[in-house]
Amino acid sequence: MARKALLISPELCIGCRGCQTACKGWNQLPAEKTKNTGSFENPADLTPIVFNKIRYVEVPSEKDPVRWLFVSQRCMHCDDAGCMKICPAPGALYKTKEGAVAFNKEKCIGCKLCVAGCPFNVPRYDAKDKISKCNLCEDRIAAGLEPACSKTCPTGAIKYGERDSLIGGSKKAGFAKVYGDTDLGGLGSIYAFKDSPKLYGMEENPQIPESIVFWHKVLKPLAYWGVGGAVAASLLHYVVIGPHKDDEEVKKDG
Amino acid sequence: MTNHWVDLKNADVILVMGSNPAENHPISMKWIMKAREKGAKLVVVDPRFTRTAARADLYAPLRSGTDIAFLGGMIKYILDNNLYFKEYVVNYTNATYLVNPDFKGPAELNGLFSGYDETTRKYDKKTWSFQMDEKGLPKKDMTMKDPNCVFQIMKKHYSRYTPDKVSSITGTPKEKLLEVYKAYGSTGKPNRVGTELYAMGWTQHTVGTQNIRTMAIIQLLLGNIGMAGGGMNALRGESNVQGSTDFGLLFHILPGYIPVPSATLVDLKTYIDKLTPKTKDPRSVNWWGNRGKYITSYLKSIYGSNATKENGFAYDYLPKLDEGMNASWLNLFDQMYKGKFDGFFAWGQNPACSGANAGKVRTALTKLKWMVNVNLFDNETASFWKGPGLNPKDIQTEVFMLPCASSVEKEGSITNSGRLAQWRYKAIEPIGQSKPDSDIVNELFLRVKKMYQKQGGAFPDPILKLTWNYGAKAVNTHLIAKEVNGYYIEELVDKKANKVVGKKGDLCTNFVTLQLDGTTSCGNWIYSGSYTMKDDKQVNMMARRKKDDPTGLGLFSDWAWCWPVNRRIIYNRASVNMEGKPWDPKRAVIKWNPNKLDPKTKKTGPGWEGDVPDGPAPPMADEKAGKYPFIMRADGMGALFGPGLADGPFPEHYEALECPLQANLLSKQRVNPAIKMFFDKKGGLKEDQFLSCDMRFPYVATTYRVSEHWQTGVLTRHLPWQAELQPQQFVELSEELAKEKNIKSGDKVTVKSARGEVWAIAMVTNRFKPFKVANSTVHQVGLPWHFGWQFPEDGSGGDSSNLLTPTVGDANTMIPETKAFMVNVEKA
Amino acid sequence: MDKMIRKAGVFEIFNHWVLAISCFILALTGYAFLFHLEQMTGIFGSFAQMKVIHNYAGIVFTGSLVISIFFYLPESLHMTGDDLKWLSMLGGYLSKHPHVPPMGKLNTGQKLAYLGLVVSGIAIAVSGFVIWLMPGVKKYILLSHLAHNIAFDYIVFAVAAHIYLATLANPGTLRIMLSGTVPLEWARKKSPKWVKEMGY
Ligand code: SF4
Ligand code: SF4
Ligand code: SF4
Ligand code: SF4
Repeated sequence: MARKALLISPELCIGCRGCQTACKGWNQLPAEKTKNTGSFENPADLTPIVFNKIRYVEVPSEKDPVRWLFVSQRCMHCDDAGCMKICPAPGALYKTKEGAVAFNKEKCIGCKLCVAGCPFNVPRYDAKDKISKCNLCEDRIAAGLEPACSKTCPTGAIKYGERDSLIGGSKKAGFAKVYGDTDLGGLGSIYAFKDSPKLYGMEENPQIPESIVFWHKVLKPLAYWGVGGAVAASLLHYVVIGPHKDDEEVKKDG
Repeated sequence: MTNHWVDLKNADVILVMGSNPAENHPISMKWIMKAREKGAKLVVVDPRFTRTAARADLYAPLRSGTDIAFLGGMIKYILDNNLYFKEYVVNYTNATYLVNPDFKGPAELNGLFSGYDETTRKYDKKTWSFQMDEKGLPKKDMTMKDPNCVFQIMKKHYSRYTPDKVSSITGTPKEKLLEVYKAYGSTGKPNRVGTELYAMGWTQHTVGTQNIRTMAIIQLLLGNIGMAGGGMNALRGESNVQGSTDFGLLFHILPGYIPVPSATLVDLKTYIDKLTPKTKDPRSVNWWGNRGKYITSYLKSIYGSNATKENGFAYDYLPKLDEGMNASWLNLFDQMYKGKFDGFFAWGQNPACSGANAGKVRTALTKLKWMVNVNLFDNETASFWKGPGLNPKDIQTEVFMLPCASSVEKEGSITNSGRLAQWRYKAIEPIGQSKPDSDIVNELFLRVKKMYQKQGGAFPDPILKLTWNYGAKAVNTHLIAKEVNGYYIEELVDKKANKVVGKKGDLCTNFVTLQLDGTTSCGNWIYSGSYTMKDDKQVNMMARRKKDDPTGLGLFSDWAWCWPVNRRIIYNRASVNMEGKPWDPKRAVIKWNPNKLDPKTKKTGPGWEGDVPDGPAPPMADEKAGKYPFIMRADGMGALFGPGLADGPFPEHYEALECPLQANLLSKQRVNPAIKMFFDKKGGLKEDQFLSCDMRFPYVATTYRVSEHWQTGVLTRHLPWQAELQPQQFVELSEELAKEKNIKSGDKVTVKSARGEVWAIAMVTNRFKPFKVANSTVHQVGLPWHFGWQFPEDGSGGDSSNLLTPTVGDANTMIPETKAFMVNVEKA
Repeated sequence: MDKMIRKAGVFEIFNHWVLAISCFILALTGYAFLFHLEQMTGIFGSFAQMKVIHNYAGIVFTGSLVISIFFYLPESLHMTGDDLKWLSMLGGYLSKHPHVPPMGKLNTGQKLAYLGLVVSGIAIAVSGFVIWLMPGVKKYILLSHLAHNIAFDYIVFAVAAHIYLATLANPGTLRIMLSGTVPLEWARKKSPKWVKEMGY
């Protein structure tokens, strides 16, 4: 199956947050008790019961009092997913055939390592310490529906579809570079940005933390080959040199 | 809306002024974005940089309450630069009409029009008239050069609205003004179309009606009325508010915008004689000339066989207003405050939060003997007796709560802003003891009727003789829909063609077949055709769901049904030239085809193609049969000069009741001279006091809604997901003002007006900027009106910003001025 | 019958095995986490179970490690010239006929191995506790994750070597951790200095 993706276009987003409520509705997530902190943005961050949110970004503008950007944020469904890489529990995180990075709370052991592996600070943990995040509406997309957030979005600021054609489409619409096109093996949540990703509060070249890459490439194989090597070396030693003999014994034997 | 939601995609320029679609009509942005994709310009004019402004191509700020100045400047710009659509203006508007030479305008009378009476605060409109020829038709000058013609008078009137003057009134930087004028003025060409989206940002002012009139003039000048992608588009604030207005929500209209009779119109004949517009021009359709048929059919529908020719179709049963009586919102609550009411049904509303000057409204409720609250939830109105500052022991009002079903728990039609009536189905049964509103009305009526039957009463007939057969308990909404559409009470025969139009007992085809003689019934003439006959079967047109779009303009004519007669764009006869050719062939709403093929008879003949045209008559170029395009106007022309309104035939800028200026920069009249004053030098209630240009209340304020909540928030505050997004009352203010007041974002502040105060969380932002008005700095702040003390129960949400708003209304509609008033903001 | 000499106390032996078993459990579950060894659920039930066991075994391991410090750290830190010599000939393990210098209770290799174990043990314990108890601070988690895995690699390597050296490579050594006593003669050969110290 061709890989699916969400294309997010802040230039089309009107910050209505239908996507936030739709996500809650579909996934039956309770509400956070919030306070107004002097901004439209609320809740302040993703939580175990907030899978997506709009960031309201204000940047200076030449022609207007301010440039007001609305950036929809959720799991990026990375191809090379740091969360999956670091996760110790098989089946806790998995890829669906559409390319979603989904999770299984039953299998999650609550080690909370995945947030360290995630370049986008996405995973959150519920009261039982189980992972909780956007799963690209795994159940909906498996049934051939689009995710709740994109379905609700009135302006097409969130579009769901085949990844390649979404990228092709937005390139045709004049977006030279699609954010997430190639990063981390290609993201499943891609962005049509008019300006540098920084402006929208996104990192330029997202990467899995180096220590995790080192661990994955070196330490992990070493644990495998290292202990095997140790056993092999012992055997070799035993055969070639043999057990340790003390001077006297050697003499006696001699 | 003259047009409809999908049609927004056809525009070249979309002017959003007086509304905030991204926040209050988010779905409309789907079509706006589609238009933008094709190169359209989105222009937003608003005191605050809104979420709509965030997506705009051009944003211009203006101080609340100065829209007429802004738009008056645009009219001047359009006229000065010859940007108007001349052919359209000359032929389709009253620009060429010669005005009574005694007419004088604000330029001559320092802010007033001729005929003003200071004591009654009313105009004698005698001079606001046209010169008539011997045939009784208006005299015209087709060259529009005569100094007395509408065009020249208008030009003179708006010559005072120079960019510099306008800028110093509105606080809009001059270059921004000109940018907007230029962008919008570009739609005066036949192949360019502009649309205007407005809502309460325009209506809720003492000059509300004139705000809209100003834009209507611009749209006529630019030839944008009747066009796909054009029109005057009121974005209704509730999903079915269009429907409820169509059905007589307001005190002065019966269903279908038929005037409520006043006591001086003693019988039906007088009513029809006096209220039916007349014309001597055979080329004017003057559709309202049919008013008699509509009121008669209406009476037949509600009184059935009890409405006979002999008793004047039971006209006497209709309640009458005293001559000149105004029973609009502000007056009702004023009367309630003065103890003139025993009881009150608060049905689907929350006046304790939604009413302007809500503090007065809350006190007014204490004067009632009883109140019935019909709502989904308890709210500030139902619980007013335990509200802030009130002691339940002191209040004698007995309050009843009747829980009603939500929209998904019942079946029926709802009509959106585009006049589209869509049938909806019940998804779930009403929960708990709640019932659909119609069932509640039904039961209530049947019980009242029983009491009248038993006890008699002063005048029981209007109740006892009412036709009322909707079921013993649960109402069958289809019966109502059919009654609204209307029936042929007798067989209707087209005598000329000798053809049966409708069989006795059939549903009416549409309002064209309604009769004056009592042989048809119709609950609401504009909805006639919504539930009709097809192949001898009754068909609910509102339940249609076909998605064909042959014109590509998004008319979707087979999707549900829209009034009138499924015409998707009204005044569409103005979208073609005199020969019936579309001004812009690329977006032809209708076009005249001399050889149109009739699919039924397979014969060809002349006819209109496209949308349902405004009448079948041939194009205007046909000297005999051709008709003028504006069929709802007696003279058939778009009104640049509009003598119908209370406060002037041309819109003139006046300041809001409360404003930061000592004087109007344009004239000596500070406020609209025709508004009703609840409080002035002569006195008035302390509750109604206002303080303009007063040091204690130095900042302009406005109220608004946000996408996350709805109206007073009764529905949305109870929804935890919505409350999560916007949990608390807030006030937006500029960085500059915040600095002056030492306020930081997130601080709790108090916002005070001459009438009340609320606390709010400060949102310090660049989205508000101080205005340069008359060479001084004016700050503006804004608050939503979604919050109330009753829920959340811990009071964490705050209270209604309507505690601040004044008791004053528009000169024509009495809609309260909640969009511009004065406050102070202090750190709490 | 040879004269026996006591080289390890009962508690010392007990602690050694506590350390060994906890280490073994930790390593097993650790491997399961690293390589998603589903087979391991046959022993431990489930991965969730494994995490609990891993965490609590970690506590035991840490406690045991701390106790072992009293037994071995002072001796391990005590290096002499003989240790240098021993080291220079790699304990004679690469020769069939080595002439190693006389050793004390622990030989140089054992001392160094123990020091390595203490360092990596502390590292693995501390980082383990950080991951367990302080989730959320990404910086610390990443550092701990790295340390945990480096230490893990070292420990599994060292433990493998330790087992070989204590069994096949040096027959008779295992007795110390079983009965605690060794033949005097055997001890004289392995730890002449210590035997002398003990007054034999
Ligand atoms: S918390 Fe759950 S999903 Fe995340 S790394 Fe641990 S086991 Fe995997
Ligand atoms: S964004 Fe984070 S949580 Fe989502 S797939 Fe990528 S690494 Fe995993
Ligand atoms: S894809 Fe589904 S789970 Fe993810 S943010 Fe959208 S609605 Fe929520
Ligand atoms: S629903 Fe669409 S337009 Fe609305 S906030 Fe979400 S992404 Fe933006």
